[in-house]
Amino acid sequence: MMPIMLFNSKKLERIKDKGLQKMLAPMALVLIYLFFGIFGRNFFSYNTLVNILDASYYIGFLALGVTFVIITGGIDLSVGTVMMCAAITGGTAYRSWGWPMGASLLLIMAVAIMFGFFNGFMVAKLKLPPFIATLGTMMISMGVGSIVSNVRSTAFPPRTDPSGWFRDIFKIITPNRFSIPTGALVLLAVTIIFHIILTRTRMGRYIFAIGSNKEAARLSGVNVEKWEMSAYVISGVAAGISGISFPAVYTTVMPAQGQGFELFAIAGAVIGGTSLSGGMGSVFGTLIGVFIMAVLRNGLPSMNLQAHYQTFFTGVVVIGAVLLDMYRTRKAAEVKVLSPSDTYKIETTEKIQQLKEEYLKAKQSKSMKEAEALRKEMKDLMIQMNKTYKTMKVAEKEEAQRVLAEEKEAERTFKEMLKKDQVQ
Amino acid sequence: MSDVILSMKGIDKRFSGVHALKAVDFSLQRGEIHGLVGENGAGKSTLMNVLTGIHAKDSGEIHYFNHLFNPKGPKHALELGIGIIHQELNMMYHLTVAQNIFVGREFTKKNGIFLDEKKLNQAAAELFERLNIDISPTEIMGRLTVGKQQMVEIARAVSHDLRILILDEPTAALSNAEIDELFKIMRDLAKKGVAMIYISHRMDEIGKITDRITVMRDGELVGTRQTNETSTSQIINMMVGRVIYEKPKVKSNVKKDAEIVLQVEHLNAGRSVKDVSFTLRRGEILGFSGLMGAGRTETARAVFGADPIQSGTIKMFGKQVKINSPQDAVFNRMGYLSEDRKRYGLALNLSVKENTVLASYEKFEKRLFIQAKQVEDTTAEYVQKLSIKTPSVDQIIRNLSGGNQQKVVIAKWLIRNCEILIFDEPTRGIDVGAKSEIYAMMNELAAEGKSIIMISSELPEVLRMSDRILVMCEGRITGELDIADANQEEIMKYATMRNQE
Repeated sequence: MMPIMLFNSKKLERIKDKGLQKMLAPMALVLIYLFFGIFGRNFFSYNTLVNILDASYYIGFLALGVTFVIITGGIDLSVGTVMMCAAITGGTAYRSWGWPMGASLLLIMAVAIMFGFFNGFMVAKLKLPPFIATLGTMMISMGVGSIVSNVRSTAFPPRTDPSGWFRDIFKIITPNRFSIPTGALVLLAVTIIFHIILTRTRMGRYIFAIGSNKEAARLSGVNVEKWEMSAYVISGVAAGISGISFPAVYTTVMPAQGQGFELFAIAGAVIGGTSLSGGMGSVFGTLIGVFIMAVLRNGLPSMNLQAHYQTFFTGVVVIGAVLLDMYRTRKAAEVKVLSPSDTYKIETTEKIQQLKEEYLKAKQSKSMKEAEALRKEMKDLMIQMNKTYKTMKVAEKEEAQRVLAEEKEAERTFKEMLKKDQVQ
Repeated sequence: MSDVILSMKGIDKRFSGVHALKAVDFSLQRGEIHGLVGENGAGKSTLMNVLTGIHAKDSGEIHYFNHLFNPKGPKHALELGIGIIHQELNMMYHLTVAQNIFVGREFTKKNGIFLDEKKLNQAAAELFERLNIDISPTEIMGRLTVGKQQMVEIARAVSHDLRILILDEPTAALSNAEIDELFKIMRDLAKKGVAMIYISHRMDEIGKITDRITVMRDGELVGTRQTNETSTSQIINMMVGRVIYEKPKVKSNVKKDAEIVLQVEHLNAGRSVKDVSFTLRRGEILGFSGLMGAGRTETARAVFGADPIQSGTIKMFGKQVKINSPQDAVFNRMGYLSEDRKRYGLALNLSVKENTVLASYEKFEKRLFIQAKQVEDTTAEYVQKLSIKTPSVDQIIRNLSGGNQQKVVIAKWLIRNCEILIFDEPTRGIDVGAKSEIYAMMNELAAEGKSIIMISSELPEVLRMSDRILVMCEGRITGELDIADANQEEIMKYATMRNQE
């Protein structure tokens, strides 16, 4: 009774597995979107779509950047407050110091990148644990934001203002009040650039290697300090872009804001399949993860659930995504063992298939008698198969139960015997 | 009751794509020490994992004391008296010895709330006395030598009142004295009726300690023999189905005037490298011998820039070089193959190709981008050249056997075009067949003009491979031998030559 394995060609199986892995998150996104479309009020509309996109930009950029850091096996807790600190510094420069908008936006980038360098320096050169280093930066950047702005919120210029041009980077509103979500293009472009960096350049390869085994990378002559630092700098760059997108959508930035964004960014990366233990992840996955969160955020209100339900459901999604991923990896390593009844069914189904082909052939060549005979044979075989399969299955189940009972009984007598037969 | 306490019949197990066990039969008698040998990937570990319930068998039957037995997991197996000691120790290094032994079964005081440390330590002391082990129960685990830790692990297993004890390569990290001690404990246990399954790659140990030997190959049972009626070469024959061994070197292959490629002078590093000087010539295999902790690995790591050095100069190809990091060493075309591949040599969850080109991505870079096709072609070329057994260059390295993983590390340094290769225990944990392949590869590389430093704890390996042998003891080089004058006694003399200051 040799078990027979259902054996597809190896290559096919690999593609199937990889495909499923990649498709799982996008499928979930589509399903959630459809769910809200069907059960929510006015969810299927262009405006809602634009709202979803608007809500996804700032977290999206943060998440893309933090993906790099997580792949190195680190974590960046500072992205949220760094982003806000940079935005508020830029806003203050525009409002209070009289800088032109262009220069203010560059300042936003510069501040965020500087914090990225600072994080990278602490982690890569000073060897501080990433959690501690970026926790410190999180507080420092929040403090800096408050100091620079004098604990006052700053409003960026409205669209009507000549300096409001930067809002067009993320959304163009035409004179007849039609919104074009250009930010989606920016987000996609950044994702593609990051994807290329991660998969096609030395930097990306090293970031994966460091995350998989830092010491092996070092002993292979990789400049671990430099490349590990670069991941944090990328995270800073992303925080800078996010720091521009935030006021472009929400206008006002406040010094106390930003805390907690980093957790949504990390959640986005995790939902997208990036492993917190490092060495695994993709920015496209992260993008999907961010969209899932954004759809939840906009979909729940359409079902009369307040926005704070978003946090609740995002938590559920994070845990679910990781559980599913673990389950899938385990399943992928398993092999399906076929019992004799399964084998019988497969073999008979093949036979029926053969008959069917012959039947079709006969039908085409117009030998009706033969075709009729074949059809009857096919039908009989099918009935017989169902019957035999059922009895075989029942017998197998009974047999399994009998073995189980025997084992249980054996174990009982066995434990007693062990007690008596002590090893001296 | 018959003497056979365990019989496994027709055990079959498949993993995705691999038929790991093909209808294997195995039996064990009361109080016997049963050697289980075979190349890596032969199915020994899988068979043991089935026995301890880590993997469920696909088909077959296990009879344990004449009862049908279906282990559900290691804990279940342990409850029923089947214990396993894995190659890698599973210890809590911050706890004491006694706490480690009784973890999960701590004694509590009468009130049932507070732990009774005293009783715990007492029980551990009694256990050690029974096993003739001399370790203090209150010692912190992490402070013990690896050998002592192994003893504790065995004590822990034995404390469960075992009928069957499985030892998976327990001697890999032990000194000779510690191995003798381990064997004494094993014989004591055997007298008390405990049956042991002993998995090892070391043939001399198998011959010394076991009563019977079962050989596996490619997931199949090859046969079971009485140890005292079988020779080592017969067993090896059964394991590999063929015998190929590099012949021992009788004289050096290196010309006296060959170019000096590496000259290390008065190197001091850390606590275990003291005033080390040596030279390495082109095409030479320089063996580093010595006992555990003699400072050989530390010397190699210092030369390679993996650990900081306090003083000393390094000249490569006649020029003095500054090596402050592995990066500098790799830049100067030096490669290091660590004794611990998994920790220091490989990015385990990356693919074969990502590992082979890890040290030389610059070469595959063209205007900022990695040339994926070139990476694949080069890797494929080396996969074929070194006959690395892998389904594809995209295979995750974790899924390869030890020997093939080692070849991937070698490929990494060859692709980097290294001139000097440091092999630290190149065949540790590698089966016999792959071992001789690695040997042949090293000889080939030396013949091509590469220079090799080989650190090895196995004397036969040192004598088989080296052109010249350096012996270290307590951080110093105590002897230098040409292969023509070298033998085991001479090496051991230098290896135990302690400093007389």
